[in-house]
Amino acid sequence: MHLLIVSCTPRAVAASNTDKILTAFCAGFEAQGNTTERHYLARRDTWPQIRAAFEQNDDILFALPLFVECVPGIMLEFLETLTPKTEQKAKISFLVQGGFVEGCQLRCCEAYLETLPAYLGGTYNGTLLKGGMFGVGFVTPKQREAALAPFVQAGVQFAQNGCFEKQKATEFAKPEYLSKGRALVLRFSKPLQKLFFEKIAKEQMHSAEPLDATPFLQYVK
Amino acid sequence: MEYLIVSTLPPQHEGVVELVGQLADTLPQAEVVYTQQMKISACLGCNSCWLKTPGRCPIHDDYEPLMLKFLQAKAVVFVCDTKLGFISYQTKNLFDRILPLATMYLTVVDGQMRHIPRYRKTLAAAVLYTGQSDNAYLNHWLARAMLNLHGVSLGAYPFEEKGAAFDALAHC
Repeated sequence: MHLLIVSCTPRAVAASNTDKILTAFCAGFEAQGNTTERHYLARRDTWPQIRAAFEQNDDILFALPLFVECVPGIMLEFLETLTPKTEQKAKISFLVQGGFVEGCQLRCCEAYLETLPAYLGGTYNGTLLKGGMFGVGFVTPKQREAALAPFVQAGVQFAQNGCFEKQKATEFAKPEYLSKGRALVLRFSKPLQKLFFEKIAKEQMHSAEPLDATPFLQYVK
Repeated sequence: MEYLIVSTLPPQHEGVVELVGQLADTLPQAEVVYTQQMKISACLGCNSCWLKTPGRCPIHDDYEPLMLKFLQAKAVVFVCDTKLGFISYQTKNLFDRILPLATMYLTVVDGQMRHIPRYRKTLAAAVLYTGQSDNAYLNHWLARAMLNLHGVSLGAYPFEEKGAAFDALAHC
């Protein structure tokens, strides 16, 4: 199978968690004798080529980060420029990643994606969801490799099944909700969490401002 | 200004003309803002508003003044077109860019992670839309979006039901 992959993140490729995930996914998928081509909506000057690739391919994967409970605005903007396919034979799959750990946070987006292929003249071919991906760009290479390893296996399974099977995707997205124990740990680890984010802000974003700064407090009514 | 009406549809849109006419009678405290002539880019997902310049988006376009109005309004109504079964991309960009109102810090509510809000402000929002779309889904999405912003959804309404939207606003 030749898979057209469209990365729908607005982030530059080098900083994209979605792209890191796709690299792992493709490693598994291509190891099964398949090929891929990857395009990026962040590179707006390539949209004509992406539209042409959409017209020419029938196995299509849109990969995206969760933005306010659904797809990013840039993805909608691009999709609105597509001419829907007419033969209904294209299989359109989705890969959604989010920052929050729980799978339930991604379900609202999934519900929309189930309806989307019909608007594009294709058939829905499943969605792979995974939360807890915020730190992929910030952690050590070893931690990153561990976080991305499941996506290599997901690529293998996609190659074998030709789709994202609902049952396996549900398993992949776990935990669906935080367990009481994990929620408790998160609640009591707030000082550590604060230190972690402040470390990222200082060392990787070169910022010394308090992360809970309120620059527009005077406007609040 | 108590109520903010943000329209991604142009002022001359037939439905918008009618809406604004009715607003003058029912909600005279409403301010209407049209975004069509504004420059509002898509969110870059860069996390700067959380980690680099907390509370401020690094994109310097027409969005920041609008976000300040969100902080001042009792409720915001997004007036928009729907395409591909969802709100238009211009409207989604308005929601995507709202992240500076949240902080990077996390809390847990009912077994789900949430960002801690930056301000003591409960954002109340409604969507009033034209075009064919699944109303149940739009309501579900808006409820989720507001939940994660510690806000309140006043519901999504097709233009034909704008009276119900006005009622929701008046009672929020």
